[in-house]
Amino acid sequence: MAFLSQLSFGAPLVLGALVVLPVLYWLLRVTPPLPKRVPFPPLRLLKQLPDEEQTPAKTPWWLLLLRLIAAALLIFALADPMLGRSPQLPGTGPLVLVIDNGWGSARSWDQRQDAIVDLLRAAGDRPVVLLPTASPAPIGLLNAAEAARLARELRPMPWPGDRNMAAATLAKMSLASPAIYWLSDGLEDGSTRAMAAALKRKGPLTVYAPRRMAYGLLPVVRDGSGFNLTAIRPMGGTAEDVEAAAIGARGETLAVTTLHFAADTNRAKGHIALPLDVRNQTARLELLGEDTAGAVQLLDSGSLQRRAGLVAAAEGEAQPLLSDVYYIERALQPFAEVDKGTISALLARHVTVLMLADVGRIPGADMEKVSRFVSDGGVLIRFAGDRMTGGADSLVPVPLRVGGRYLGSAMSWAAPQHPAPFTDASPFNGLSIPNEVTVSRQILAEPSSELSDRAWARLADGTPLITARQMGQGWIVLFHITASPAWSTLPLSGLYVDMLKRLLALAAGTPPSDLAGLTSLPPVSQLDGFGRTMPPAAEVQPIAAKDFARTEISPRHPPGLYGAHGVENALNILKANDTLLPMQDVGQTLQSYGALRTRALQPWLLAAGAGLLLLDALLALLLRGFIPRMGARGLAGGAAVALLALMAAPQARADDALAMKAALSTRLAYVRTGLADVDTTSEQGLTGLGYALRARTSYEPMEPVGVDLARDDLSYFPLLYWPMDPREKNLSPAVLTKVTDYMRQGGTILFDTRDLTLGAVRGAGSPGEQTLRRLTQGLDMPRLEPVPGDHVLTKAFYILRDFPGRWQGGQVWVEALPPSKPGDAPARGGDGVSPVIVGGNDWAAAWAVDRTGRFVSEVVPGGEMQRELAFRFGINLVMYALTGNYKTDQVHAPALLERMGR
Amino acid sequence: MNFATLQHEADGLSAGLPPLMVEADHLAASVSLGVHGRKRAGMGESFWQFRRYGQHDASSAIDWRASAKSQHLFVREREWEAAQTVWFWRDASANMRFGKPIEKRARAELLLLALAALLVRGGERVGFIGMEGAPAASRMALTRIGRALFGKNPEAALPPMAKMARGSHFVWFSDFLDEGVEETMQRLAHQGLKGHLVRIIDPAEEDFPYEGRLRFEAAMGGESEIFGRAEKVRDTYRARFVAHGEKIAQAAMKLGWTCTAHRTDHAPQRALIGLHGAIGGL
Repeated sequence: MAFLSQLSFGAPLVLGALVVLPVLYWLLRVTPPLPKRVPFPPLRLLKQLPDEEQTPAKTPWWLLLLRLIAAALLIFALADPMLGRSPQLPGTGPLVLVIDNGWGSARSWDQRQDAIVDLLRAAGDRPVVLLPTASPAPIGLLNAAEAARLARELRPMPWPGDRNMAAATLAKMSLASPAIYWLSDGLEDGSTRAMAAALKRKGPLTVYAPRRMAYGLLPVVRDGSGFNLTAIRPMGGTAEDVEAAAIGARGETLAVTTLHFAADTNRAKGHIALPLDVRNQTARLELLGEDTAGAVQLLDSGSLQRRAGLVAAAEGEAQPLLSDVYYIERALQPFAEVDKGTISALLARHVTVLMLADVGRIPGADMEKVSRFVSDGGVLIRFAGDRMTGGADSLVPVPLRVGGRYLGSAMSWAAPQHPAPFTDASPFNGLSIPNEVTVSRQILAEPSSELSDRAWARLADGTPLITARQMGQGWIVLFHITASPAWSTLPLSGLYVDMLKRLLALAAGTPPSDLAGLTSLPPVSQLDGFGRTMPPAAEVQPIAAKDFARTEISPRHPPGLYGAHGVENALNILKANDTLLPMQDVGQTLQSYGALRTRALQPWLLAAGAGLLLLDALLALLLRGFIPRMGARGLAGGAAVALLALMAAPQARADDALAMKAALSTRLAYVRTGLADVDTTSEQGLTGLGYALRARTSYEPMEPVGVDLARDDLSYFPLLYWPMDPREKNLSPAVLTKVTDYMRQGGTILFDTRDLTLGAVRGAGSPGEQTLRRLTQGLDMPRLEPVPGDHVLTKAFYILRDFPGRWQGGQVWVEALPPSKPGDAPARGGDGVSPVIVGGNDWAAAWAVDRTGRFVSEVVPGGEMQRELAFRFGINLVMYALTGNYKTDQVHAPALLERMGR
Repeated sequence: MNFATLQHEADGLSAGLPPLMVEADHLAASVSLGVHGRKRAGMGESFWQFRRYGQHDASSAIDWRASAKSQHLFVREREWEAAQTVWFWRDASANMRFGKPIEKRARAELLLLALAALLVRGGERVGFIGMEGAPAASRMALTRIGRALFGKNPEAALPPMAKMARGSHFVWFSDFLDEGVEETMQRLAHQGLKGHLVRIIDPAEEDFPYEGRLRFEAAMGGESEIFGRAEKVRDTYRARFVAHGEKIAQAAMKLGWTCTAHRTDHAPQRALIGLHGAIGGL
């Protein structure tokens, strides 16, 4: 009876109608079904027969039962029954709904809304207080309609909720005898207990928590082959697999991997390996099926991975920590794929950024290549070094002085210099300069008027630290210090990484002025609570570039992309060391959402009742004798529908099988006409031709396929054999289009009018040709001509003069070629293959062999030579269809060979 | 009505005719009887006897070959082979549309055409009451009967008034369930016709295999009769049906006519042989 206790009725009074059931029973019992009708000619003889028993036959008990059940079902349905009770609210005062709608609640948000609807329904006319934790609360008491509307509009937000604020808001209200419900997301935010205590102080509290809480995805770590992913979950629990996907900018799934949570652990690691190109298309990574903002990690779009080429003057230094290459590589690794090698080798690999560490003079041959690379939009980044002090080539932003400048060394009076703050025009504008960055040695520029424009970074004394110059569409950037910490501590700082990252953006075509504007990062797009990308809301504020790393997620800074086009920084909810925890014990049991749900049974009961009544009507018809003819047909129809439904799936599989069969090897194909004798001949003919092809040519066809023009895909078959027969049915417009498309896309159809097989005449009057005309009426046929003597069809494999099949003589037609000019090649074939070949010699019959390999038909007038010629025509035809104009070109081969000088 | 629709309708109506004719021919072929002689001397082609020449005989009647064998003159007498005229009628009322799996009317028409074909082969003239043209002893007459069967379809149960030569035979296929059968028989007998009644009976009509609550409906007129337990009236009904058959048979006997019954679930050959015997034996 557990089920019954779950039942509740919206209109219980209607159940009183069940009282009429016995009355109905009595009424149905005394009203027998209408008698069956029988036509009977000798009715006159039946007249005035003493009818010994006129008492009506009883209504059969099962019919009675059926009708009673139908009536009972309808009465129950009208009583609006519901499975599951709506909660009984304690108290008499307002209903207080505290709703967690932070990102963690986005998972199974529907359940939450159902719970809200149920609670509001249970509240009836009592006033309602809605307290969402993550979005501003509507002020004061709401009436039921208003509360329902606001609750419907409530959405999960992409930031964590603030329970303290909600508790504070509630504390300020004075409520008499409230019923308090807390629809939580089940996640701990450090204030659960305080919240529960605050709520309990106000009145009786019921807490709901989801059975399965939201999972999160930690920031992605890139490595050389792809992304390392870490998913976290609030509770240890059982082992579980979750799927994570790399998603492209347009929402396309690029790759999917499975992360495995072992039992009792709450971290799962996984890796998605992607080629560089695809990695660069990745806009976000997310846990599939979670649909929360916390399960999404956006990627910085400025960090599209570039292919950076690195050339160091000194290879293989003994101490790697002192080598230039090491520092550049480490700094670039997260953002770029770093290749090492010689300049020309790297340029040949199409790097977008070329880095030269301490290369004073680019060797002569490479010089031109590098300057062309830069002019075409490449970015050349050079670092100074000992070699450069000896003079540099022309590919530097500013003229350099020979020799360096020492600061703060034993020989120098000056102290090591700090970099000056970046100017507004510098592309590094907005990056913060750590105090520990000092420069102890640099290369100086010759003073010039352009220097001020070209210096992107200076030392505190105004000497240039980084200079740049545009050349063509590309840039040349010079660090006046080494790439290693030999000359300054810059390579040891995070600033170095940020600077290189911005320079990489240059390679993406972002103008430096945009980069200079990046002191504050305006929002570009944001996530909603479900983790979907949307345009930024009006209240979203830009973030100062230097604060970006420290920015907390809040309504003013929702997760999303900030920055300028091409250099967007991603702000994600979860940071590298975040964890998820389940809610602390609040001193009472947590209800789960699903239990709350009431399910309306009315539609199901109504449907069942209506179904039974329909059955009753059918049975009544049956009993009255209407069924014999109509019923049988109806049953047959129903059975046919069911059978079709059953057959649809295997049918589809069969189609696939045919497609596979046809696609995996090139096969000869014939059009299935539906006439058993014709189709058999076609199949046997193509089998025979297949044997000949196998024996004589390098083409080894598998057994032939019969295609149904209406159903099958024709595109697998280069050649279709189509015998004509007057019994064939006209083609539907759709099929005509399909055939036209087939011919237009390079397919060839051999129409065989089978003149002498079908009748005694050849030519226009023959049944085959009339059928051809009838079938191809709506077909876009090219202009035809009899096969000219120099047509490639006569030379594709054998040299042939005529094309006998089962019959000899008869004209064969192909698409008309442009007229031949004197001095033309000995073979002409046009550009493509003739889409149509028409003839009437019944070739299939000549080729046909039976299972034992014996020929099926005699050839007329006869002789092995005729059959041989028939096969030769077949081989030529297949070669023609398969190779197209290749064979036409073959006649030029000697001339070509000669021209190539052998 | 233009010619096309007329032709179309005619095609539709006669669509059943060729198969029926074939079937009837087939049936007739299974009954192989020769030309039936009159068993006495008369006009005819086959030899009957030689008779001594008398004064009233024409000299051209003398059979010289036979006479040359003896002293006397002989006349060759031939058997009298007079062609009879057989008129047909079949009940076309809706009652005859009843029957499973064979409609009574279909069976009647099959028997009719088969008998006619048989008679034509025997040299008799056949005709259908109401058909165009005079009775004839040719396949043309069969076709005309067929057309009359399938052509105009007035659903008439009883044969209409028609001019028929005295002494003709008349074969009537019907279930004889309609009113006015006996009056018609009287009228035809007065015309000097020798009648043969063929009662076509559906097995259900004779056996009455019905059970349960049923509403019996007449084929025409919308009359009906409800029985709570049809099986209860079975015996009474069967007795009435037999009595009805006997009544028809006695009426026929009084007029010197024959009456046979044919159930549609029996082979049509049997009925055909019986009928042919009844007509040919006279």
